[in-house]
Amino acid sequence: MDAKLVNPFVDALKTVLPQMGFPEPERKAIGVKAKTASSLGVSVIVGFTKSIRGNVVYNMSEDTAKFIASTMMMGMPVDEFNDMAQSAISEMSNMLTANAATNLAGMGFEVDISTPSMTIGENFQIKISDDQYLTVGMDIGGHELEIDIAVSTQ
Amino acid sequence: MEKVKVMIVDDSRVSATMLQDILSKTNFEVCAVARTAAEALELYKRNRPAVVTMDMNLPDANGIVCSAKIHEEDPKANIVMISAMKDASLITQGREAGISAFLQKPVSTNELLDTLMLLTQERVGKLALLRDSYVKSFMRAMQDSLKDLAGLASTAQIEVSNSNYIEVDGVSVILGLTGKPMGRAVVYMDMDMARRFTAAMLHSELADISEEEANDSVEEASNIIVGRGVSIINDIFKDREMRITPPGTICGQHIRIVNMKLTSFTVTARTEAGTVYMNIGFAEEK
Repeated sequence: MDAKLVNPFVDALKTVLPQMGFPEPERKAIGVKAKTASSLGVSVIVGFTKSIRGNVVYNMSEDTAKFIASTMMMGMPVDEFNDMAQSAISEMSNMLTANAATNLAGMGFEVDISTPSMTIGENFQIKISDDQYLTVGMDIGGHELEIDIAVSTQ
Repeated sequence: MEKVKVMIVDDSRVSATMLQDILSKTNFEVCAVARTAAEALELYKRNRPAVVTMDMNLPDANGIVCSAKIHEEDPKANIVMISAMKDASLITQGREAGISAFLQKPVSTNELLDTLMLLTQERVGKLALLRDSYVKSFMRAMQDSLKDLAGLASTAQIEVSNSNYIEVDGVSVILGLTGKPMGRAVVYMDMDMARRFTAAMLHSELADISEEEANDSVEEASNIIVGRGVSIINDIFKDREMRITPPGTICGQHIRIVNMKLTSFTVTARTEAGTVYMNIGFAEEK
């Protein structure tokens, strides 16, 4: 797993989020983990394929999801993680991954991305790799967004 | 032919029964009957009908207010007002609330059916196309794979999924679809079935199958099923270039996978070992 593959995703976050009115995201922890990630409550998986194949997961708590949705909707209060808020998170995941795809193309990796799949629940596990995946913790105005990236070797 | 879901909003049992009788002989299916505006909104969210028939006088609000609320929830909602009175001011206000057609009581069978057909035609046409061109290929791939991988014969059916999410317990494998149309497939089953399915694939005793082994085997099988489905489609339509992204496997209880802006279908395959489900969702064409 090549650690430089984290950059297109982190850069996407730093480009896209401030345009939507978020404070500048800060990169916190970065690491390599094996096989399975634990969901924080709301996890959006976006797959990609073509010259490299893999998955990215945007993993966050429901509180963080509500904060992000509220900021995206111009500060409208979001008390419940309802359809509209879910739609905002899904849209953000799509925008971030599309932007990352452009960054990957700049590194010589052309990819097509799938539609986002949002999964909601308590205590579930997500496996995106048979081997290892990269994980980055981002801080957005005091809220944590975890990004897990796996590139398949086959 | 797929049944088209209709929700009736009417506080009079006589009127509601009359409409139900007319629709019972057709391809329309009454999925819910609401007696109040509050109930209508709740049942709309739960059932996502293709079309709603709306009475003007409800105990807690009028039909225009109720239609506006449904329209707020789903801007694409198809609503037909069926009222005793029909005048220009009602039609103007109704249009603003998102009502597409106006009929007068008592409504004739032909008039009602023609109106419902006209309103749902686009959706029915699109669903039929997706089902016949794509979902059937995935169903064939699933049945063939269950047979080849685990020796399991199955009976399968396709249903349009009208809910905003699928609720899953056990193992779910998500595979993105790129190309045209874009979307995603989710193959899922409960943990008991995952272990029985794995035992059949590995020719092993059920007791020897660990949960992790079951997850890995279901993931591999799902990858094969959806991959085969995509191959069948690419063989038929030479210009689609559909591809699948690698699997993401979710494991846990009471999990919701949200069908965000997807038109989705659930394929259910029943085998002697248990049931395997596959939800195929397609994004709106842009």
